[in-house]
Formats: sequence, C-alpha cells, structure tokens
Amino acid sequence: MPSDLSRRAFLKRASALSLAGAATPFVMNLAAMGEAAAATATDYKALVCVFLYGGNDYANTLVPYDNTQYGIYQAQRPGLAYAQSALTATALTPSVPLPNGAQYALAPELAKLLPLFNAGNLAVLLNAGTLVQPTTKAQYQAKSVSLPPKLLSHNDQQSYWQASSPEGAASGWGGRIGDLLQSGNGTATLTCINATGNAAFLTGQAAVQYSVTPAGPIALNARNSLQGSTAAASLLQSLISGGGTHEFEAALGSIGARALDLYSQVSAALGQAPATATVFPTAADPQSSLGAQLQLVAKLISVSSQLGAKRQVFFVSTGRYDTHAGLVTLHPTLLANLADALRAFYDTTAELGVASQVTTFTGSDFGRALTANNDGTDHGWGSMHFVLGGAVRGGRYYGINPTLANGGPDDIGQGRLIPTLSVDQYAATLASWFGVPNSDLATVVPNIGNYAGSALGTNVGFV
Amino acid sequence: MTFLGSVKANPATGSIPDENYARELMQLFTIGLYQLDMDGTPVMSGGNPVSTYTQTDVSQGAQVWTGYTFANTDNTTPDRMQLPMAINAAQHETGATSFLGISIPAGTSGATARAAALDGLFNHPNVPPFVSKQLIQHLVTSNPSPAYVGRVAAVFADNGSGARGDMKSVIRAILTDSEARDDTQVTSSSFGKLREPVTRLVQWARAFNVTSPTKLWPFGNVASSANRIGESPGHAPSVFNWFRPGYTPPGTTIASDGRVAPEFQITNEPSMIAYINYLQSVIVNGAGEAKADYSSLTAIGSDSQALLDELNLVLAAGQISAVTIAQMKTALDTISATTSAGLNSRIYAALVLVMASPEYLVLR
Repeated sequence: MPSDLSRRAFLKRASALSLAGAATPFVMNLAAMGEAAAATATDYKALVCVFLYGGNDYANTLVPYDNTQYGIYQAQRPGLAYAQSALTATALTPSVPLPNGAQYALAPELAKLLPLFNAGNLAVLLNAGTLVQPTTKAQYQAKSVSLPPKLLSHNDQQSYWQASSPEGAASGWGGRIGDLLQSGNGTATLTCINATGNAAFLTGQAAVQYSVTPAGPIALNARNSLQGSTAAASLLQSLISGGGTHEFEAALGSIGARALDLYSQVSAALGQAPATATVFPTAADPQSSLGAQLQLVAKLISVSSQLGAKRQVFFVSTGRYDTHAGLVTLHPTLLANLADALRAFYDTTAELGVASQVTTFTGSDFGRALTANNDGTDHGWGSMHFVLGGAVRGGRYYGINPTLANGGPDDIGQGRLIPTLSVDQYAATLASWFGVPNSDLATVVPNIGNYAGSALGTNVGFV
Repeated sequence: MTFLGSVKANPATGSIPDENYARELMQLFTIGLYQLDMDGTPVMSGGNPVSTYTQTDVSQGAQVWTGYTFANTDNTTPDRMQLPMAINAAQHETGATSFLGISIPAGTSGATARAAALDGLFNHPNVPPFVSKQLIQHLVTSNPSPAYVGRVAAVFADNGSGARGDMKSVIRAILTDSEARDDTQVTSSSFGKLREPVTRLVQWARAFNVTSPTKLWPFGNVASSANRIGESPGHAPSVFNWFRPGYTPPGTTIASDGRVAPEFQITNEPSMIAYINYLQSVIVNGAGEAKADYSSLTAIGSDSQALLDELNLVLAAGQISAVTIAQMKTALDTISATTSAGLNSRIYAALVLVMASPEYLVLR
C-alpha cells in the first residue's frame, strides 16, 4: 500500500475514531468507524461503468451525418455504411454545435437514447481512448512521447482502459476511487460491485471487488447441511473461507469469506427492493445479460440505505463488439441491446428518484478502423463514448472532433484515431463528480498531471 | 477467428483484408507481443520492452489469410463444419507481402503462402520460450523461474536430435524438471497453480470411471458461474480463452508480490459457490446417464480415515494436510455408514469436502 494512501486512510480512521469515542478498544473502534462515517454522510452517488468488450466500432455508433463527413465515412466503408437518409430521425442537435458544420447521428438502433440526449441527460464524448499524455500524430510517429503499451491488443487495452496498466494490472481506477471513499460505507466490501465476473477496474489498494450474478448473490446449497450433516456443512464453510499457508489458498479464502459473509445481507436487502414499473426489454442480443446486470444494479441502488452504502462503483459488461466480420448483421443488434439496457436503467433510476445521483458511462477496449475490410472493421484506438445520468451536462459533445480520414492528421492509418480525450481525463471528471478531491486525482489516475493545461484540462466538464 | 470468408483487398471499395487472424496468430498462438530471451524474460531497449511486430506486420500478414471458405457448399451436412477450409483462389490476395522477415512473392498460391507464413512464425526465436512458459503454467506452476523456462525452451528448440517443437520431449522436460520435482515446493507459499475448474471435473470423472453408454456425455455447457463451474471446453468467450497467462488477482499478496495466478481470472464469489453447488449435484447424480462408479470407495468407506486417505492420494496427490484430514474425519464420522445409504452419503460428503478444499484446489 502506498504510504500516502495509508496515511490518508489512517487520518480518516482517526477522525472517525474521535466521533465514535475513545472509551472502547482501538480494534472495536476500527470496526465501528465505517458505521460512524456512514451515519454522517447524507447523500448517495453511484458510478456505473458499462464495458463493451471487443472494441466498439465508433463510426457505426456515432455516425457522421453532415454531407462532408458522411461522404468520407461512406467512401471508407461503402459496404458497411448506413444510408444517410436512414440517419435523419436520430441526427443530433447539440446545444453547442461542432465547428465546420460537423454533425453526427446516433445509429438508428440507438434511437432510444435520443430523448435522453435531447433532455440534456446524455453527453457524447468524441475521440476518447487510452493515452499516457497528450499525443499528436507527429509525436506518435516520432515515438517522442510515452504511449500506452501494447496498443491494438484486446486484453491489454481492456486492462489499460480500466487500470492504466496492461494485462497483469494490480488495481483499477474504479477500485482506486473506492479506496478513497469506501470508509463512508457501512460495509466497505459493498463499495465496488461487479455484476459480470472479474474486472481489474474494480479493485484498488484496499477496496476489493465483490462479484454477483445478474440475479444477485447465490446461496451455498450446503449452508445448513451436507449429506445430512451439520458438522460437514460447517467444515465446508470453514474450509472455503479459511486462510492457508499458501498465498493462493489465502486468496481463495478471501473470496469464499466474502461470498458467505455477504450473501445473507445482500439477498435480504434485495428482497426489500421496491417494485419498479420500468420494463427491461428482452435482450436483443441473446448472448448478452447487460439488461439483467443493469436491472440488478438498479435494485442494489434502490436498497443502498439498507446496505449502508453512500458511494458505490458498479461494473457491468457485454461482449461481441470485436466485429472483424459480419458487422452489418451483428453490430446493430449489439447497439439495440445496449440502448434498450441503458434507457431502461436510466428510466428506473428516474423512477426511483435517484437519476441525478447515478452516472453511467461506456468504455471499450478501443475504437476500430474507419476503413472496412470486406465485411467488418479491424482494431483501432480512439472511439466515441456515452455518459448518461441526471447530473450529466448532456445534450452536447465533449472533446475534439477528429478529422475522419484514412491517413489524415488524426489517425494512424485506416481511420484508427489517435485519441484527443484520454481515459485519464474521462476518469478524473467522473471521480471529481463522485467526490474525489483534486489533490487525490493522481491516486486514481496517476498520469492526470500530464493533462494540466491541455486543451481539455483535467476536468472535461460533462458532469 | 474470422478468416473464414476473409477476402483480398478491393481497390474499388478500398476494403482491406481482415486482420483478425494475422494478429491473434502472432499475439496469442506463436510469438506474443514482446521479444523474449530464451528464459522467457522480455528483451529490453532503453528501459522498454521491444515489440515483436508492428501494425504493418499485421496488415501485411493479413494478406496470407484471405480466400478461405468452406470446402463443401452443402450446408445440410456436418461435413461442411468438419472439413478443413478450402481456398478460393479468386479471393486470395496474391500481391507480394513481407512481414517479420517472411517474404512471400507475388503470385504465390494460398497454400504455399500459408506454409511459408507458418514456417516463418514457427522458426521465430520467441516460439520456444513463449510456448514453453505457458505450458509450464498450465501443467506445473503459475510462476516458473526463468531458468526453468529456459531449460524447457532449449528442449523445444532442439530435442537433442535436432528437432524443433518435439512436444513429447517438451512435456517430458516440463514434468521431470528439477523445479517441478523438488519436494520442498510442497511447503512453498507461492509455488504451484490453481487447478482450473474443467480439470477438476475431468479428474473426478476419470478417477471414478464415469461412463456415458450413449457416448453423448450429457454434461452440456458447464460455463455458467451461477450454477455450473464457470468454464467449459469449446465455449470460451473469445480467442483469449477463459484466463490470461499474465492475470494477477488485484488486491492480493499475489499481485503485490508481482506474481501471477491466471486461473483466478475466472474465480470469484459466484463461481466459487456455483462450483461447490454443482459438485454436490454431479457427485451424487452424475449428469444424465453419465454416472460415477464409487466401488473403490464403498469398499473402504466405513473407515473415514481410509476413505480420506484414498481421496487425498487419488485427487490431491497427498497434498491435503493431516490437520485438515483430521477435521474432515471428525465431520464425516457424524454420518453413519452402517447402511448402504449412509455409506453413500459419507462418500459424497467426503468428495465435496476434498474437492472444495483449498489444499486440493491449489496444486503444488
């Protein structure tokens, strides 16, 4: 654990200690600290990362619509391009127009997001992606600046996006946000929740990911009896939550202990979730559980007070975005699935009265090339992303509109964009809204200092 | 992988060959992203690892993998999916290409280009350490020493008779290496690996002679991490498979000590509980007609100690400690084995306890 984080955590604990009183033993006070801090907090906020695994195709998501940009788009991917006339209904009318008459439309399958944009609850980020520092094409070509390692590689760019480090990352920025804010939660282990397996994003130095299924936590069938034996059931639970002399055994024990300890608390709280009227549509992509994951997140948010949670970071995901082939068949289905899930999730938070306390944002391995292969597109870098929620200053674009081209000033060839809005700036903006002080932003995204004084600064301002 | 249906560049539309297979063939299956010394450590230059290939190598290599199609146009028979793919010469890119020092002249046929590309990659210096290290990680330990990787890679490069890539020799070198055989590793706090769920299930099936009279093996897809084992052969979510060789579980001493534990990428609260729930079911019921034969255990099950000693030997290579075995014996002795049903219950409970035990799950 870095010493500065230890010191901050200690100061927080010390301050909570004085609130809790000094008559009880130190260890008891540490245990009470979370409750004490939670009791003093009066608000609730959630960040929800929606990760599109595989690398989303930006040009068929946010589609160039003005005649100039559309012409370039159509020429680079004639077999994949939407007809310009098919885009009229979803063309965006931002509150702040882009320079040079540039216009975009949402892909028609994203139509359900248009009302959110028009109401100012959805912002569009232009050309966002992984960077170490602001990078021009000349700098990229001359290799005169640091670049994220292993560009264009799925696993590494997923990891760099989530954790500022390639495969093998030891913590992610969602978890590092959790490190700074989990002391406000009654149960620290319910700060970072994953509804979709494991992601480097959600674990920090102290914060750990807690994983659930889209149906919530699952019960150990043998919790009371194993083959009729309570002694065997008891030993089973002791074994799977125990330590062990081997560090892998210890790691297994931590997971098992969380699974057993949190099951009753979380499932009981979920049982109290208020009924909501918003319907999550049947998944347009039958292989995706994104809607179910977001429905669970909404339920968890609705019982956040029962769980003593004041700040929570959630991770959900859906896959199949690696559209090297069959793009015109598959990608629209993926987008329809995404729009259905995002819209239903937003509507549910509105119904619960927490829309302005929940900010949802998309991530993906990378963008793709603008130039088509026969029936798909290949790996790229920068991409377009969405941020939605009641607190979002939406209805407009953020970032710098790239020159769409094959071999233009903003791409490394075939329209693989050099990002002009870094994931670090994206993360820092979200973290600031969430309550991370400026002085701690470098703990969340270590390279954020590289953007001080850059075109978009360290806070892009979308929320 | 999408080279089925990949076609050559089309100057009229500007379309380029699909890069998917060209990239992943290099990144995942042969050489990886960084140049490696024979002991698997990355080659450094100016403090940075040296890349094995560039985007240009990917684009150039992609030409080789164009033109592939089904060998059979009849989509009503399984043959179409089972036959090796054919090359449609009209869609194969025949312009000259060059990548990673592999040069393929203009006009080369698809089959010849493929052979040249694969031979070139196979002879790349990264292949022995890249493949050897991952095999060691799958078979013996997640964190082999560079010396161990180097010894195995040397056998990969030359089996002693001049042959490169003699897998029998490579696997023998992995399993008989001094680092793998060292008895002191059994008490190490970091050597070894987490058994992956599929190997646990297969180990149970083989140990207790599970048979499928119809040969349909009706276990189905066991990938669910809500009610199965969180991993299933043939159902990996992508070409990156279920877990990555460089994965480390964040927030653990494994990560803070700079080690990796690939199988932890699919280990989490739901998958751990689901695995045990599924064990409970499959140990008792099998899957459909596929049933276990526990006759070797019923013969000794009235003696809990003998039962546990047998399971410890057969399933856990004797790596479950005497302390844990004693705890298990106390628990199992609460299940009376005087009736046949009681004996079975005790055997089932013993199997669940052993196969859920961290001392079994971590192979040392």
